Amino acid sequence: MSQPVRAGRVGQVPALLGAAGLVAVAVALELAPRLGLVPAEFMPPTSTILAELARQLQRPEFWVALRDTLVTWGIGLGIAVAAGTVAGVVIGTVPGLRAATSSTIEFLRPIPSVALIPLAVLLYGARIQSTLMLVIYASFWQMLVQVLHGVVDVDPVARDTARSYRLGLFARIRYLVWPTALPYVVTGVRLAATVALILTITGELIIGTPGLGKEIAVASESNAVPPMYALVLVTGLLGVTANLAFRAAERRVLAWHPAIRVEAAAAL
Amino acid sequence: MSGAFRRAGLVLGLPVVLFVVWWFASYDSKDFYRPPLHKILEAFRDTWFGERMVQDVLPSLIRLGIGYAAALAVGVTLGVAIGSARWLRALLEPVLEFLRAIPPPVLVPIVILLAGIEDRMKVIVIVSGAVWPVLLNTVEGVRAVDEVLADTCRSYRIRGLARLRHLVLRSASPQIMTGARQALAIAIILMVISEMFAANNGLGFLVVQFQRSFQVTEMWSGVLLLGLIGVALSLAFRFVDRRVLRWYYGLRAVERQPK
Amino acid sequence: MRRQLAALLFAAALLTPAACGTTNQPSAPPPAGQPDKVNVGVIAILDVAPIYLGKQKGFFASRNIDLTLTTAQGGAVIVPGVQGGQFQFGFSNVISLLLAQSQNLPLKIVCNGNNSTGVDGQDFGSLMVKGDSPITSAKELEGKKVAINTLRNIAETVVRASVKKAGGDASKVQFVEMPFPNMAAALQSGQVDAAFPVEPFQTAIRDAGGKSIASSWVDAAPNLTVAAYFTSTQTMETRKDLVDRFTAAMKESLAYADSHPDEARQIITTYTQITAAQVAKLTLPKWPAEINRDSLQKLAELAMADGLLKAQPDLNALLPSA
Repeated sequence: MSQPVRAGRVGQVPALLGAAGLVAVAVALELAPRLGLVPAEFMPPTSTILAELARQLQRPEFWVALRDTLVTWGIGLGIAVAAGTVAGVVIGTVPGLRAATSSTIEFLRPIPSVALIPLAVLLYGARIQSTLMLVIYASFWQMLVQVLHGVVDVDPVARDTARSYRLGLFARIRYLVWPTALPYVVTGVRLAATVALILTITGELIIGTPGLGKEIAVASESNAVPPMYALVLVTGLLGVTANLAFRAAERRVLAWHPAIRVEAAAAL
Repeated sequence: MSGAFRRAGLVLGLPVVLFVVWWFASYDSKDFYRPPLHKILEAFRDTWFGERMVQDVLPSLIRLGIGYAAALAVGVTLGVAIGSARWLRALLEPVLEFLRAIPPPVLVPIVILLAGIEDRMKVIVIVSGAVWPVLLNTVEGVRAVDEVLADTCRSYRIRGLARLRHLVLRSASPQIMTGARQALAIAIILMVISEMFAANNGLGFLVVQFQRSFQVTEMWSGVLLLGLIGVALSLAFRFVDRRVLRWYYGLRAVERQPK
Repeated sequence: MRRQLAALLFAAALLTPAACGTTNQPSAPPPAGQPDKVNVGVIAILDVAPIYLGKQKGFFASRNIDLTLTTAQGGAVIVPGVQGGQFQFGFSNVISLLLAQSQNLPLKIVCNGNNSTGVDGQDFGSLMVKGDSPITSAKELEGKKVAINTLRNIAETVVRASVKKAGGDASKVQFVEMPFPNMAAALQSGQVDAAFPVEPFQTAIRDAGGKSIASSWVDAAPNLTVAAYFTSTQTMETRKDLVDRFTAAMKESLAYADSHPDEARQIITTYTQITAAQVAKLTLPKWPAEINRDSLQKLAELAMADGLLKAQPDLNALLPSA
């Protein structure tokens, strides 16, 4: 039991498999246009897209657009996570608030963020704030729902224990609610990050806020098909990188949670 | 009796307050893009009842229904497979994460390329986005099966379909329902997005058309309708949720009883 | 007070961040000696080459205008952008502007954007079918599917005009909305029977074997003004001198671009992703300095006959005083 986790060996196998999966898809997408399964001028083979990606990486406009997307994403996600966590903890913990706000939340939540585009455009034009509005609106609900689930899921025995020790509201939140909600919060951040990125690119695409989405739109309107796919590839890579980063953080933060513990123990 | 009143009060309280404030605050609004609430409601009555209900709202809802059902089926099936087999998860995760990160409006032209411009394309767009929360949550739920229960099953030699049904799915079902709820919201959004390109009928299509021809009041009424549909579906979901997860909520309720 | 309360509620209910930096006031005159900062909302297409060229040549700087060009995704974004104050001027097709006016949006056209070449068979957009299609005239489109990029807007109006001109019944044509990049594949696979692409997609479809059966811009009206630059009536009233200077700079830019097509082609490669090799093959629009008012009148009549416009638009209110 005192053997250290053989991190090297454990880390390699999943990573290799993941890489294998990606390679398999890349090969399939290389062959499909070349074999005529899909029209090549509308879906170029992987090699063409990768060559175009190399070219894009040399354009300064690309890096500016990437930075713009990351900034919008970061700000939107940050605000949504903070607001969602605070709102979720408050609504979940303060008695009665959950019931009172439930119907309002259920009404506002399903309104598609894309329906807000006209309002956003009016208030902020094609500036970053209009895309931020979409991002924050959608990601906030993701976060809120997850946090509420976490807060409500508190173990009854633990709650009774807290009550018998007469823990105040803040102490309860810190020792009782927060650890229970934490897995949900972390999942929530991961989901919210994905939603936020998608809406960032969507806003840039549809409204025209500066960023990768806007570059994709310009490429599409210029009938520049390989650059468009190259940029879409970058978007996908951003999402993958973010997911890996969040999963790594999840593992660190939740080392004590059953799902993670099983895998770590199995690795010994 | 007072219990029912209290419940009704909680459900309607805040929305009514907000509604009333909105009504009076916007009453004589001259702002083009923020018309008075009473005008929006008039437009609501004039626009949606009648032909449009059948011609546009119904097809949208049907596509939503089919897309959502397909997303659930695909999401749960794949989720169980991926969650149970660690190697499969490792193999597919980067690819799935990659596909998920591509925003639907970018994907739509590619889907049109492959699936045409008819209803089939719209359903595929809905599935392509709504499947992810279901899939992810199913995987999480399957991963987090209680070890003690899993060991018990192993000692009793419960395997295969029985294990799947009684241990895996049942354990994961609260998490799966969370995913299903999120998927519903995403499905509604994608229903709108799928009708923004290459469509000629539908609720989302009409809202976009109103926006493009600057018929702002009608557009707001469309947004309102979308919200109402969202609420209705959400309530329906909660009803189903309470029945399917009867055992879970019952368990929690029992545990919450004061000793 | 009520307006502010309403705005506050919307913000609270939708949990948007506090409005920071919304400018609903028209641009104030700059301090003496400094040029006016002007932000123009355009779309990254061929049509706006003149304003880019004019900026490069200094036509705006020489009139004390510090010009910023912001590309957006269409009239649906640019019109609110102009109203909300993000843009002082915007670029939009004329049907969108007529629709906006019919909803009482306070907009005013200041100068021409771009025109059809007026030459049948050599325009920057045309009604096209695939190479081996049996369709040879717009009349045969009755009962068929035609792909256009935006329903109930200018493309639909002019394609209907083509059908009518060829003797067909436009109401029997089935219009399908489709992004330009998808039209080529849709034509080839038979998803649609005809399409109305503009450059660079027109040339791309032609290269793939497609052929044009009608020049819809020409069929709608001779030398049709397709798009124009506009501003809000508020700006028009409070910053008339800026509008006049902008208009003068634009007219100079339009005339320059019209007479220097090679430079126009070159500048197109800078704000789009069209390559130099591709842009050499494209048919450019025409860029006359003056708006063709007769063509607008004709277009408005077509739109009313199609039921797109419900009432006679007040062109004099919309157009700049002659």
